[in-house]
Amino acid sequence: MQTQASRSPQHANPAGQHSKSVSLRNVSKFFGDTRVLHDLSLDVRAGEFLVLLGESGCGKTTALRIVAGLESASEGSIYVGENDVSQQLPRDRDVAMVFQSYALYPHKTVFENIAYPLIVRKRAKAEIDAAVREVAASVHLEPQLDRYPRQLSGGQRQRVALARAIVRRPAAFLMDEPLSNLDAKLRGHMRAELKHMQHELGVTTIYVTHDQIEAMTLAHRVALIDKGVLQQLDAPARIYSDPANLFVAGFIGSPPMNFLRGTLANNRFESEGLAIAADVNHQGEAVLGVRAEDCALVAAGEGEFRGRIYSVELIGDHSLVTVNVGEQQVVVKVSNMFAGEIGTEVGLRANRERVYFFDQASGKRIR
Amino acid sequence: MIKRLFVPTRLDEIPIGTRVIAYGLLGLWTLVVLFPLYWMAITSFKLPIDVANGPAYVPFVDFKPSLDAWHYIFVDLGPDTYRPYMNSLVIATLSTVAAVFLGSMAAYALARIEYKPPVAAVGLAVLMLALVVAAVGWGGVDLRIAVAVCGALFFLLLRPIVRRARRHLANDDIIFWMISQRILPPVVTVIPIYLTFKSAGLLDTRTALIITYATANLPIVVWLMFDFFASVPKEIEESAQIDGATRFAILFGIVVPLVAPGIVATGLLVLILSWNEYLFALFLSTANAQTLPLLVAAQNATRGPQWWNMSVLILIMILPVMLLTLTLQRFIVKGILVGAVKG
Amino acid sequence: MQSSSRVSSSAASRRGSRRSVAANWLDRQAPYVFVLPAVLLILGFSIFPLVTSAYLSLMRFALGEGGYELKFVGMRNYVRLFSGSQQFHFVGVFRPPGVISIAVMAAAALAIGWWLVRYLRGGQRSVIGGIGRLIAAASLLAVVWLAANTTGDGGALGSLMVTLFYVVFGVALQFLLGLGLAYLCTLPLKGGRFFRILFFLPLMVTPVGIAYMFRMMADTAVGPLAPLWAWLGLGQIAWAADPWLARIVVVIGDTWQWVPFMFLVLLAALEGTSRDQIEAAQLDGASSWRIFRDVIWPSIAPVAASAVLIRLIEAFKVVDLPNVLTNGGPGIATESMTLHAFIEWRTLNLGSASAVAYMLFFVSTIACVSFFQLVVRRARGRQS
Repeated sequence: MQTQASRSPQHANPAGQHSKSVSLRNVSKFFGDTRVLHDLSLDVRAGEFLVLLGESGCGKTTALRIVAGLESASEGSIYVGENDVSQQLPRDRDVAMVFQSYALYPHKTVFENIAYPLIVRKRAKAEIDAAVREVAASVHLEPQLDRYPRQLSGGQRQRVALARAIVRRPAAFLMDEPLSNLDAKLRGHMRAELKHMQHELGVTTIYVTHDQIEAMTLAHRVALIDKGVLQQLDAPARIYSDPANLFVAGFIGSPPMNFLRGTLANNRFESEGLAIAADVNHQGEAVLGVRAEDCALVAAGEGEFRGRIYSVELIGDHSLVTVNVGEQQVVVKVSNMFAGEIGTEVGLRANRERVYFFDQASGKRIR
Repeated sequence: MIKRLFVPTRLDEIPIGTRVIAYGLLGLWTLVVLFPLYWMAITSFKLPIDVANGPAYVPFVDFKPSLDAWHYIFVDLGPDTYRPYMNSLVIATLSTVAAVFLGSMAAYALARIEYKPPVAAVGLAVLMLALVVAAVGWGGVDLRIAVAVCGALFFLLLRPIVRRARRHLANDDIIFWMISQRILPPVVTVIPIYLTFKSAGLLDTRTALIITYATANLPIVVWLMFDFFASVPKEIEESAQIDGATRFAILFGIVVPLVAPGIVATGLLVLILSWNEYLFALFLSTANAQTLPLLVAAQNATRGPQWWNMSVLILIMILPVMLLTLTLQRFIVKGILVGAVKG
Repeated sequence: MQSSSRVSSSAASRRGSRRSVAANWLDRQAPYVFVLPAVLLILGFSIFPLVTSAYLSLMRFALGEGGYELKFVGMRNYVRLFSGSQQFHFVGVFRPPGVISIAVMAAAALAIGWWLVRYLRGGQRSVIGGIGRLIAAASLLAVVWLAANTTGDGGALGSLMVTLFYVVFGVALQFLLGLGLAYLCTLPLKGGRFFRILFFLPLMVTPVGIAYMFRMMADTAVGPLAPLWAWLGLGQIAWAADPWLARIVVVIGDTWQWVPFMFLVLLAALEGTSRDQIEAAQLDGASSWRIFRDVIWPSIAPVAASAVLIRLIEAFKVVDLPNVLTNGGPGIATESMTLHAFIEWRTLNLGSASAVAYMLFFVSTIACVSFFQLVVRRARGRQS
């Protein structure tokens, strides 16, 4: 089976020699009585771009900070390469971090900001100078070297933060939602820049975000986390097309996947206004999931669903039609020429290969 | 080897060496803070002979505590103790209320209304003041006449000057002027104030101190309350204005409840300042309006080495402040910080 | 929808017309009513006395039959303070210049001169800036000269130098102790909250009470530290009879009271330091000391400067502590300028008292404004 199971990192630049794999093994974290991370295990390969994706408060930033050494794990251990770094101070772990707020030193120039990690490690002045200029060139910051952070734009500050992380040639980059403080247009541009840079440098990267678009576009693999529990660890394509549970299916994709409650019995899924063949062995309450682009509007009476048009929204290059099916709703992607009227009775046909079933109680995918 | 004591063994943990030193230093300062207070507290229960025989540290062990000093201060000296206490209470409370009331009004106005006093008008006011002083000093004119004449002159000349004025001051300047009054050492103003009250027959009265303290603390109230008022969202007031409420109603009915914590903090600060104030009381009061700080200082002269009696006096002076502050300490901290950080 | 808005607007207009003419007039006068009481009071109790005090300082006060008499004497009161009969009281007693004092003077003159020149040649200079710095430099030089020539054998400090001693050493000590304690409280130690509340205590004690408390504590014969003094062999020293010991005790009392203020402000500033920057520095490999120097100190500098300025302003006014603790003694060794003025006033030298008060005003204004311009503004400017 030809799969895109994982985009294996092919790098242009063997500076990726420095980079090592990073592993979290059975990491749990308690804040007081609240358990924030549940037995999290992840292996990030050397040179890989792994995205920790999830909603606010799901624990992804905590996991990142534990890898960095800014927090300690209540249970479990962290490995960088072959070394167990769980008890080591942040500065001994050979990882660099880009903060959401960039954390630039306001009273130092851009040059001094980038040079700081090297100054602190007492490198020679000439060496520092060369390294900083090289890195500044690679992120197009050379004209700004003598300025102060307060004189820079948001995008420039972010590049300074990046440069400061790069200049150390660490074993891994840790990034905490670095694009979330930028406006939408700049964000798209910086995404491309980041991707290119990671490809060039080939450094292991762990990237935290709540934005699924960033995850899908940047990652070699995505780790989706909900309430401190790892939901699925896979390449973006497989997360999209082969979700492991209800949470993953509903989190990825825009518009979100349609969910319909019903009953599975005798290889059939039935609910009010809907009956569809189901090639799974399961009985009981279940949830059917199907994406808006995997449905098509047909005449009433045809297709597996039956309902009434509730609303039509013109998006631009397509339209979204919301259809009431029984007590539930389904959103369908249609051509932007669609001219149906609210209240019309219609039918829906779903692409059988793109229909998913989930157990209603546990949310797990029924295969 | 010793260095290892200072290296962290686990993440999130402070190395033992550092911890010992930190606790040690903090503990030392705790001792420095508490010991003098403790010493004074137990001294108030000592007899003269306990003191003269050398330091006695623990009650019931080194000496037998007695209520003699307390009895002396409250009973034997009864009225001489109650009078200053009541004076301090009344003066501090009334002057605080006045300062907070007037100062908050001014702070609110400065935060919401745009003032543009012409520089010329300010100059005119100062000129008139100088004229009054010169008239009273050189010409021997009666103070009231001088004030009346110069006041009238001021209002007469005000209109034409305002109409022709070109340079104006802004709210910021007014606030800066008010705050800069703090730099003025009270000793510079106290002698003329003394003379003024003397000619008004108000020396050694509570009224004199109430007015003086209220005025002296106005700048602080304005300084602190300004930030509180400025942080109230304007929309609330604007919608009340649209509904037809008067400015007074808006201020007292809507805004004040919103800045209540600020008022409490500021009021507490001013209360403490008034309670502890020494200089003005020193100059302006002798017997009738004697306040507690004066009482302590005066006793110091006559009963200097009578530590037991003095301890009682000081204790009753500081206990109310301590209790009040401890119960409301969160507000004070915020008050000081708002002022300090804003500079 | 439509009808209800009509109802509310008519209700408003009914409410409006219900307001009497008087209420409307009052509302329009509100800007004046709000601000004038405060402004008038401050004008009356600050500007008016300020002018009067200046006037009085040019007079000589004498009690005559039936009342008093004010005789104009020009600058004589001021001259007396500096070179006349009051010189010992205000400026101090001069001693023959020694090698050290001359060396100190020369070094100070050189340093200050170099600083001035650097400013005048620098890029950002202005007339006001230049004049201000000139005044500051001249004052500083004068103070150093005074200090060099009144300390040591044969010399004695006057109230001017004593006040400056209290201000400079007191505030410096309070700042360092406050910073140290605040830093310790930012470490993750148990009992942080307990310490915070506790360290706040001294601020609540009346200064007069503090003065007396320390008088008790410092007694070398029957005070609580008597065993310690005896063990050190200092049991018989009467600190109150030695000028420098007495001054140090005053500074100790002042420090005990004001460290909490510095502690609170600096603690808030330390806690306000961006945690991200500290963590970034940790990841970058900086040691605790480097982090303090490169991240924390620049972050608290503006607040620290403001706090020191506030303390400076208040420290110049000190009077209760020296009055109650030592009564200005021994002799005049612990007299602050305010105390000096009070004593003059008590002996009915109104003119002289006003002159001393005005000198205090000048000195504290020059010091505070210079500090503000040179330190506070620089500290604030360096932040974004």
